[in-house]
Amino acid sequence: MKFYTVEIEARRELGAYTLISYRWPGEKVEPGRFVMARAAGYPVTLDPFLARPFSFYDFEDGVASLLFEVRGRGTALLDRATRTVEVTAPLGRGFEIDASAGRAALLGGGIGVAPLKILGRELSARGIDHDVFLGFLDAGTAAVADDFAGASVATMDGSAGTHGTVLDAAPDLLEYPVVYACGPNAMLAAVKDAAGPDGLRQLSVEERMGCGNGSCNGCVVPVDGGYVRSCVEGPVFRAEVLAW
Amino acid sequence: MVVRERVTGVDLSVEMCGITLSTPLVPASGTLAKEALGEVEGVYGAILPKTTTPAARAGNPPPRVAETPAGMVNSIGLQNPGVERFMEDLDAFDLGVPLFVSVAGETVRDFAALCERVSEDGRVAAVELNLSCPNVEHGGLTFCAGPAAVEEVVTACRAAAPTKPLFAKLTHEGVVGNARAAESAGADALTVMNTIPALTIDAKRRSVLVRGGLSGPAVKPVALKAVHDVARTVRVPVLGGGGVTSGTDVAEFMLAGATLVQVGTASFVRDPVEILAEFSDYLREAGMGAAELTGALR
Ligand SMILES: Cc1cc2nc3c(=O)[nH]c(=O)nc-3n(C[C@H](O)[C@H](O)[C@H](O)COP(=O)(O)OP(=O)(O)OC[C@H]3O[C@@H](n4cnc5c(N)ncnc54)[C@H](O)[C@@H]3O)c2cc1C
Ligand SMILES: Cc1cc2nc3c(=O)[nH]c(=O)nc-3n(C[C@H](O)[C@H](O)[C@H](O)COP(=O)(O)O)c2cc1C
Ligand code: FES
Repeated sequence: MKFYTVEIEARRELGAYTLISYRWPGEKVEPGRFVMARAAGYPVTLDPFLARPFSFYDFEDGVASLLFEVRGRGTALLDRATRTVEVTAPLGRGFEIDASAGRAALLGGGIGVAPLKILGRELSARGIDHDVFLGFLDAGTAAVADDFAGASVATMDGSAGTHGTVLDAAPDLLEYPVVYACGPNAMLAAVKDAAGPDGLRQLSVEERMGCGNGSCNGCVVPVDGGYVRSCVEGPVFRAEVLAW
Repeated sequence: MVVRERVTGVDLSVEMCGITLSTPLVPASGTLAKEALGEVEGVYGAILPKTTTPAARAGNPPPRVAETPAGMVNSIGLQNPGVERFMEDLDAFDLGVPLFVSVAGETVRDFAALCERVSEDGRVAAVELNLSCPNVEHGGLTFCAGPAAVEEVVTACRAAAPTKPLFAKLTHEGVVGNARAAESAGADALTVMNTIPALTIDAKRRSVLVRGGLSGPAVKPVALKAVHDVARTVRVPVLGGGGVTSGTDVAEFMLAGATLVQVGTASFVRDPVEILAEFSDYLREAGMGAAELTGALR
């Protein structure tokens, strides 16, 4: 896998999450695609060894940004990077956008908000009406919602917005011909249930990855009759494809 | 092409089993998908796709990969579409370099049938036998559990594919005895080595994370010794690998006795173009061609 060393153009904290941006001279970034990223490359990072997957948070005027939550060592090191980070070119299959399909609901759980920013930007650019619903653990993580004008927010501890899950902040999803969601797999399964079988339902899944380019068969999700690699066939899947 | 500019002025070509390769690098089976081939054009002297089996295999449920210091543990479970669909799709792996095919079965008969099936195809330059999978007729011990098991399966494959170059891929345990057995049963070359059995545990959840095979830089010293010991024991050439991550690593495996060098896990974290470029720099400095390096330990 080819990694590029990119300079950090900007770094800021959005509540509990960190946003970094860098210039990406390559092709336009499609919503829902991701990169493998790490604080530094070989031989500095023999440990932690693998790069980590991150969805694009935004892409504007050739500047790409990633939003991340510090969970373990890889993200802690990224959070400490000041000058440069290493990223791959954009990977995977993003969200399908169908301008004729009608109104869209965008649902994010926790750091699953990440791909909804760039998705919302693209929907707006194409004149597609959409509503954003975001669920968080608490007010600290919910602070990122300030970056989503008009979003409805829920928190599990009730410290901001509706008390409950993202589904408690959203109206009946059956009303929406298009539903997009990103978050923990349990949330995606709940969204799949609530959104029903009709219309365009797309879920961005989160699996452990080895390579990010289809080579290791590590990142699979269950589908009818077996498993498929989420890094090349996903990370965005039509809900009906996933055998959850 | 990017690669060519970075490797000028050195002779990277090598020869093995009558096959001429433009570089001594080969992808390790199971670590290079057809979707990623475009990124490695010019790097590898031959292409070696993931192991194929008689019928399609869904593979193991996730999680399948876990990171370790300088490596990873995988438990993919040989997910593949089965030999017939694999052969239908074989042209997808055509980069204009020789194509090696890796096969695995659950019985000796499976192995022989696979060898017959893939070796009759003119696009296949050689067959690698992935002997580290369980032999259902021997209580789930692998096909390289010992010299007798190796001898039996390689003999059957040799008879099934009398003219195609056959490589026996071995694990490090008992590798010298197994290498001798494979050679005497007619293997044309030996691949050393496969992953090392390993386990990762998620302490927070108090559960097993992944039980599988360890690969990556962490296994390199073990692999180097295995290659070194085997190359001093057998006459047939060795495809060395296990943790190869830099151009110097490639040189080390060749010095230990490898004719070809397999790059696996490192290709997830580095651009293989860099590895070949570093190896070219090494040769340039040493004033040697790749072919001269095999076994050239002082
Ligand atoms: C397609 C995709 C997009 C993602 N987008 C984002 C994003 O935009 N922002 C963000 O903060 N996070 C995102 N994640 C999750 C992010 O990759 C993990 O939080 C991160 O890998 C954790 O690494 P760590 O070193 O901090 O944690 P550690 O626990 O130290 O990681 C150890 C290993 O487990 C893997 N791992 C741990 N947690 C996860 C997880 N939840 N999902 C997948 N692998 C995991 C790591 O990659 C690493 O290999 C995404 C994941 C995927 C698959
Ligand atoms: C994700 C993954 C999948 C693998 N799949 C196969 C396989 O299908 N057949 C096989 O013979 N070896 C397989 N291997 C083993 C590699 O081919 C190689 O022998 C081993 O990983 C050691 O080399 P490395 O450290 O360079 O990866 C796999 C290894 C990894 C990491
Ligand atoms: S991460 Fe390796 S195949 Fe998807």
